[in-house]
Amino acid sequence: MKKSKVRVNSSRRNFLTGSASVAGLAATAAIVPITFATANHKDGSKGLPNFINWKNRDALIIHSDKGIETHRSAIGESIVTPNANVYIRNNMPTMTDAQIGNRKNWKISVSGVKNPKTFTLAQLQKLGHTTIATILQCSGNGRGFFAHKVRGSQWKTGAAACVLWTGVPVKAVVDACGGISSGAVFMTSSGVDHAPTGLDPKKAMVERSVPKKAYKDAILAWEMNGDPLPNSHGGPLRTITPGYFGINNVKHVGKLAFTETESDVKYMKSSYRISPIGKKGSQYPTCWEMPVKSWITRPTDETGTVKAGKVQIVGVAMGGTKKARSVKVSVDGGNSWKKAKFIGPDLGKFAWRQFALETTLSAGTYTLSSKASNGSNTQPELRMENRRGYAHNGWKDHSVKISVV
Amino acid sequence: AGCHVLKAAGAEGNVGPSLDSLKPTEAEVQDMVFYGLGVMPAYGEDEMLTKEQVDIVSFYVANSAGK
Repeated sequence: MKKSKVRVNSSRRNFLTGSASVAGLAATAAIVPITFATANHKDGSKGLPNFINWKNRDALIIHSDKGIETHRSAIGESIVTPNANVYIRNNMPTMTDAQIGNRKNWKISVSGVKNPKTFTLAQLQKLGHTTIATILQCSGNGRGFFAHKVRGSQWKTGAAACVLWTGVPVKAVVDACGGISSGAVFMTSSGVDHAPTGLDPKKAMVERSVPKKAYKDAILAWEMNGDPLPNSHGGPLRTITPGYFGINNVKHVGKLAFTETESDVKYMKSSYRISPIGKKGSQYPTCWEMPVKSWITRPTDETGTVKAGKVQIVGVAMGGTKKARSVKVSVDGGNSWKKAKFIGPDLGKFAWRQFALETTLSAGTYTLSSKASNGSNTQPELRMENRRGYAHNGWKDHSVKISVV
Repeated sequence: AGCHVLKAAGAEGNVGPSLDSLKPTEAEVQDMVFYGLGVMPAYGEDEMLTKEQVDIVSFYVANSAGK
């Protein structure tokens, strides 16, 4: 795969030297896909794996049968990404209907609360009901732009989606359990999808701790864009932690605990750590809060010939854990910028906003870039170099070249 | 058994990607087996296999995947 030139953003490197407490600045990772850089991105002969044969093949780039990306132009023209177009990144095999059994009887235990309890899905549905829009984004989204050799799926922009989730607020569940125990610092969700594999839970269980404060926005979701949560996306029940990287949105969740310490499983302790190239360890920040980011979705080389004249440059902007406030667009690789307009409805601070800039382009070649701000932070020009290629939000790499005729 | 699909070896695991569809090169298998990734152990780095053993496994996988 063609890689861009190595560019080091030295002003951001100090993120890498901090403790996990600064993770919010950098955010961590998506689960390490067991795939290869040379997997064919656009090979039409690669069909969909059976467990997601309902997906829209034309919208997807198949890195492997476990790592499937959405084309830049297919993340949704109407804010929300259709389920058939949403990317797939699973650390463990998707649970089958047979393994799940009756969805209404799915169980989740809640501990680290005054009155620990176990609820079935049917019981959770009586505790509360809400819908939120969030960005689901793999920590490694943008890994394909890094110049050093990074193991894992070479995602560009398409390990991200904007999704409407329906479920019960975690706060309602906590209230039903008498409140959080004193001393709790983290909210820890555990997936039970490792169990059918027989692998050592410490190595295979997807168990993620996030700062306790995240519980106020979090939900336990059973519906995705109006459909029962597909097994491949963590059905029948998934923790949704708005503003946090994908890995923290634990699939097939069977345990929710308010804990004094972070989980000690591999996926928390050593995977998803944002470390300098050549270094690793649990002293580095984990992939938690997502940074401000944007990218252009059209026109691109995927969307056909661009004719000279009036052009709508369209994209998406996300603020991370804060609302996206503004977006600027450049047609000359970042030499000059114009403010774009937000279009479409505002689905809240955890969703992305669509933006558009109407401009006139004559025949020629252009480099289109976008740069979002959430009021506090603006996208940097360059990526933050790190070993596993996590949390990329530099605008330069996300630019697209187009030819206007 | 196992974590991957590799028909030639009778492996039908579903944790990592299907090696038969991925068809990795020998160098890619060597890299992954040596350093590991996610739930996959670092067989070389953690000295579960010698470099020679990693190379043998990698040669076999690269030459039998998809066959």
